[in-house]
Amino acid sequence: MLDFSTLPVALPLLWDGVQMTLFLSLMAVVLGLMVGVLMCLARLSSHYAVRFFAQLYISLFRGVPLLVQLMVTYYCLPLIGINIPALVAATACIGLCASAYMTEILRGGFLSLPTGQKESATMVGLNQFQVLLFIELPQVIRLTIPGIINEAILLVKASSLISAVGITELTRISQNLASSNFQPFEFYLTAAGIYFIINSMISAFGFWLEARINRRVIA
Amino acid sequence: MNKQTKESPIVDVQNMSKSFGSTQVLKSVNLSVQPSEVMCLIGPSGSGKSTLLRCIAFLEQYSGGNVFIEGEMLGYNDNTDVRKLTSTNELNHVRRNMGMVFQQFNLWPHMTALGNVTEALVRVKKFSRREANEKGHAILAKVGLAERAMHYPAQLSGGQQQRVAIARSLAMEPSVMLFDEPTSALDPELVGEVLQVMKDLASEGMTMIVVTHEMGFAAQVADTVVFLDQGEILVKGSPQEIFQGEKPPRLEQFLKNYMDRNAFWE
Amino acid sequence: MTFDIQVIIDHLPEIASGFGLTILCTVVAALIAMVLGLFVALGLMSKAAVFRYPVRLYVEIIRGTPFLIQLFLLYYGGPSFGLYLEPIEAGIIGLAIYCSAYFAELFRSGFNSISLGQLEAAQIMGFSKISVLWRIQIPQMMVLITPGLVNICIILGKETTILSIVTVPELAFVLTGIGSETYAYAETLTVLAISYLILSELTARFGSWTEKRLSKYMERSI
Repeated sequence: MLDFSTLPVALPLLWDGVQMTLFLSLMAVVLGLMVGVLMCLARLSSHYAVRFFAQLYISLFRGVPLLVQLMVTYYCLPLIGINIPALVAATACIGLCASAYMTEILRGGFLSLPTGQKESATMVGLNQFQVLLFIELPQVIRLTIPGIINEAILLVKASSLISAVGITELTRISQNLASSNFQPFEFYLTAAGIYFIINSMISAFGFWLEARINRRVIA
Repeated sequence: MNKQTKESPIVDVQNMSKSFGSTQVLKSVNLSVQPSEVMCLIGPSGSGKSTLLRCIAFLEQYSGGNVFIEGEMLGYNDNTDVRKLTSTNELNHVRRNMGMVFQQFNLWPHMTALGNVTEALVRVKKFSRREANEKGHAILAKVGLAERAMHYPAQLSGGQQQRVAIARSLAMEPSVMLFDEPTSALDPELVGEVLQVMKDLASEGMTMIVVTHEMGFAAQVADTVVFLDQGEILVKGSPQEIFQGEKPPRLEQFLKNYMDRNAFWE
Repeated sequence: MTFDIQVIIDHLPEIASGFGLTILCTVVAALIAMVLGLFVALGLMSKAAVFRYPVRLYVEIIRGTPFLIQLFLLYYGGPSFGLYLEPIEAGIIGLAIYCSAYFAELFRSGFNSISLGQLEAAQIMGFSKISVLWRIQIPQMMVLITPGLVNICIILGKETTILSIVTVPELAFVLTGIGSETYAYAETLTVLAISYLILSELTARFGSWTEKRLSKYMERSI
């Protein structure tokens, strides 16, 4: 009943899609982490206004579905005269959405650090910025690796929505192949398989990374 | 051993008071620590001895009185009518004279022993990596951990971790070392190695303030022993005076509790 | 750019019906997903490897692939096997399957978090297995997992927007439809975003209210 005979011909196309999916996901993770760190600092700030802004940012990006965010950037940005390529808009959108989740993950990490760590750093004379950069952040990243990996997997899956704004990543390519060959089941199954493999690899990488770090840092 | 040199004290605490909410934990405490003096703070838990030490490090803000470290006012600018907190820079400037060792070690788990010792040398004192490592190795050797330089905290015993923490403070060449119950988190058989390092430091002339439950250490090493109770200094004197002389009932009771547990003082 | 609220007012009935359908899909899918998830959780905790491994694989596959692809497989791929579904049927079934895997993991962690000692204590006092489950395990588990449960429900609610891609006439579909007819993208998408913000917020509020009520008769241990 299933006929995969057209698959070999389609493989190069699918590979292009995989590359685009990986690129989008990677950009989202990187952007998400960078903005996430800033937002996390804002969230933990002692200034009420700064905290409020971060809270608002997080609520907005976590409360509104990603598909809606994508449509807003796709349809509304041109209306206010911002014309950026769809790819850039989509990457920024998914990255900012990711940053809202990263913020909460990182915040958990910051809050779990014993306060004594900071005190001992202060007593040897490190300033606030140095404490953050050299003492806290490296530990927070290590502590939150499981959460970050989990988020990366969610992002790979979320990147499939970018097909809706016409970017030819894995899902969009599968859609095209499915309809041009009239073989939806075969091509969507293939796509599912590819996503599953990508995510399994990310998950395995996470376990490896965690084990490697825990070997020496955590007793 | 008791030096009564009347040069300027390294730490001078005048009328310090401190409250958490409505409970007053320190009531008008006066202390001064001379160069090379070893002062032990003893007292029941909740007596305010740790708070006193943390106020001297300005990890807690004291609410009344003054603290001078090598003649410099700690934590506040007092030249105005209203007392104002100093800037972080000024605070760090005064703090550069102090090293602190914590009950929970507070090592940074993502750095090796050497990394813990050299981090501040590189970031604060602007040493080159090579200079810092050289100095770090030397100091680790001094606390008996030359072999453990490349180990992470999790790979070290509690006693070794605390010695790394001492080395980390020493690297900054402070003029006074503050110890906040440095052996309380250790297994009994590991206490000795840490106390030995502290004894060595004392005999080299390091000025030290030690909050401790180790009466033996206080008796043997301290120049001055201070007994705190309910936020006040009840007795201050040489070990002989504290442990052998006439004692107020509170101190008698406190020491008796220790005596019952382990006879340490004949 | 002008902001013309008239477009929204003109299409209010359609928007309301889309909103209703979004809620319907969310609630129905969540209920099916929870029941399904409970069975999957039991499978995950089964002592028999023949049960445990296939169920584990099911959970990993569902969680490792995008919902959109799962939906496409069900809706567009189903007919290859004679499975013809209406968009809304495919949407609800797809959502339920997708979320069942997340519910299952949550239930499993909830069961596992109850200390063995408590169960032993109950056993020694002569409780039956059913009453241990009903009186000891489930009440504690419910308090522990409520935050997670609410979280998954919020995610599920947001995933319903994806149903618009297979033409389920829920809120996103209705509003983007109006948008492309009238070019009033700013107005329609703003309404869409705000609706979801409100929905998420209400779900979260409901969650913390439930949590408080549940924990009233059980002191939280964490």
